[in-house]
Amino acid sequence: MTEQAGPRDAVIVEDVVVRFDDQVALDGVSMTVPTGSIVGIIGPSGAGKTTLIRLLTGVLSPTSGTLSVLGEEPRRFRRETREGIGYMPQSFTLYPDLTVRENVDFVASLFGMLFFRRRRRTREVLQLLDLWDVRRRRAGKLSGGMQRRLELAGALVHDPALLFLDEPTAGLDPLLRTRVWDELRRLRQAGRTLLVTTQHINESEECDLVAMIVEGRLIALAAPDALRRQAMGGDLIELETKERFDGMALAGAPEILRVRQDGPRQLTLTVEDAGTATPGVVAAIETRGGSVETVRELHPSFDDVFAALVANDRKTRAARADEATTDSQSAPAAAA
Amino acid sequence: MRGLVTMVQRLLAIVGKELIEVIRRPGALVSLVFGPFIIMALFGAGYGGFRRPLETVVVVPPGSSIPTDAASYQKLAGTGLHIAAVVQDAATAEAGLAAGTTDVIVITPADPAASFKAGQQSVIEVVVDTIDPIRADYANYLASNLSSAVNQAIITRAVEEGQGIALADGQTAAAKIPPEVVAAPTKASLRNAAPTEPRVLAYYGPAVLALILQHLAITLIALALVRERTSGVIELFRVAPIKAGEVIVGKVLAYLLIGGLIAALTITLLIVGFGIPLLGDPVSLAAAIALLLLASLGIGLVVAVISDSERQAVQLSLLLLLASVFFSGFVVAISEFAEPIRILAYALPVTHGIRLIQDIMLRGSTTQLWEYGALMLIAGVTLTAAWLGLRRGMARA
Repeated sequence: MTEQAGPRDAVIVEDVVVRFDDQVALDGVSMTVPTGSIVGIIGPSGAGKTTLIRLLTGVLSPTSGTLSVLGEEPRRFRRETREGIGYMPQSFTLYPDLTVRENVDFVASLFGMLFFRRRRRTREVLQLLDLWDVRRRRAGKLSGGMQRRLELAGALVHDPALLFLDEPTAGLDPLLRTRVWDELRRLRQAGRTLLVTTQHINESEECDLVAMIVEGRLIALAAPDALRRQAMGGDLIELETKERFDGMALAGAPEILRVRQDGPRQLTLTVEDAGTATPGVVAAIETRGGSVETVRELHPSFDDVFAALVANDRKTRAARADEATTDSQSAPAAAA
Repeated sequence: MRGLVTMVQRLLAIVGKELIEVIRRPGALVSLVFGPFIIMALFGAGYGGFRRPLETVVVVPPGSSIPTDAASYQKLAGTGLHIAAVVQDAATAEAGLAAGTTDVIVITPADPAASFKAGQQSVIEVVVDTIDPIRADYANYLASNLSSAVNQAIITRAVEEGQGIALADGQTAAAKIPPEVVAAPTKASLRNAAPTEPRVLAYYGPAVLALILQHLAITLIALALVRERTSGVIELFRVAPIKAGEVIVGKVLAYLLIGGLIAALTITLLIVGFGIPLLGDPVSLAAAIALLLLASLGIGLVVAVISDSERQAVQLSLLLLLASVFFSGFVVAISEFAEPIRILAYALPVTHGIRLIQDIMLRGSTTQLWEYGALMLIAGVTLTAAWLGLRRGMARA
């Protein structure tokens, strides 16, 4: 594979709203996806992840807002542009009466791959996804996990520049999930752009950027570490002192944003940047008569990050709603 | 150039995929290949095209002067009625009618000769018990024939008696004309200008073939497309660089191949197995069948586009089959329908298919060349409608 030229941002989404009758599926979503990156789209079931993917593939139209994918509006993709897009839908949509190999070959034909390249790539993706040994088995006779792999093979076979994968690892065992992510990273290294939805929130760690969607709203879009900082208000440092130490003594110490006392000798500190702040934190404790026995940066799981971001978002929205209520009540009083 | 190559490749991919899917479904394969054979074989073996003679009981009132032997009546009745018995008691005969063992009761007048000599008309009463209007008409027709035959017999006998009297009086000239000629001065002689003798199987075989081909084409392509729409494969088509027109052309080519193969096998059976002649040019026959299939596939695609489920597609296909049986001229002549209904008949590919295949096989050619045009028109309209519908369906979401 060769590095592919293209626009700096493979995907640009601006203030997109999608409504189905009176239900809002996406509410003012804006984001950009840099070319050559893996963007994970996470969120609870029904949050709008699949709707976003279907918008970007041109299957759906937005109610309002603008979209640009590989420099084109998805509903008006040129044929050549479509040939550069791979799509793995959430549910199994291939042909149960065709064999594994026939299905992949069929998809490759649709995407314009000529015979010899098609044959080689079919073999490659089937071997990659552990489906080569069952290449003569009909798709309808495969297990659920194998069917997901077959769908993934269909999305990968024509070596697209931009891949939309709707829950590619659903139903796969951990070993195969790892292999799939290895392949996705390899594609990224080769300059491909990947948008991946997942319900395995910890897979966000594998992405360059993570878009978090809740109830149709994009509540966060950042690199995994930045997202963790955003959720927790900074980096977390977990430390244990040799003797009992009162965390309140650290109030006002530079670089320390928050202190949580977890035990007589255990503290969790929130700092701007764990890498640079740790020596200063140790010094601050020693200055105040303490002595640090162990110190390490705490990496909360992405489940925790996700929960914290959702909670923060709810708090922010509730506060805004309260403000709006207060404003609307105070306005008539001021007028009077 | 590459665009053309990839387009051809996409079409071939769809054709190949459709063929594989059909072959991989053993049930579908059996019904596709053997179904028409079995239907045709059963039709050929089981349908003679001749009506069973109606079981008839003649009631001759007691003391009547007319014959009481069944053979006399059988001679008059011809082959349409089987005179099972001659009885004196009408109640006995009516019991048989009620029980279903008798189809027709013929109650003769007590003394028709005396009535004739007295210048009075006698009535032959014919009793049937049926709710089938066609059967009732047939019985009425046979009764009229019987009445004519009896009348002819009476006139013949009267002429014989008259000529006997004339001869006795020495008027030999009056006896020159045979009594049978006096009773029936004319008789019809039918000459059929068609190049083949009408045979029920030869006539209906091509019609059954046309009906089977239309039904298979509609059902198969409709189910194939509806399945793709309901299973979500259409979402792949929406994203892939394939157009609605390519999907349609690929499917049509695949099912033209399958339909053509089935047609070839079935025609071979008709010719070799049932001795139905193929007097016309095989190329003309192939063209007629190809157009019949194309128009039927167009209708099948329209069915698929407007159906939300496989069940609905099957229901619509069966409704079309039913309409085809009634309105295509298969059972009832199209000329017997009112004008607006004839338009419906001509909108069905099978109507034209039956006529063309029958003409080419049994007459050697057709004078109804417009039927080719009609098939092309149906194909053009339905394929365009299906293309527009599928294009809208692939774009809409």
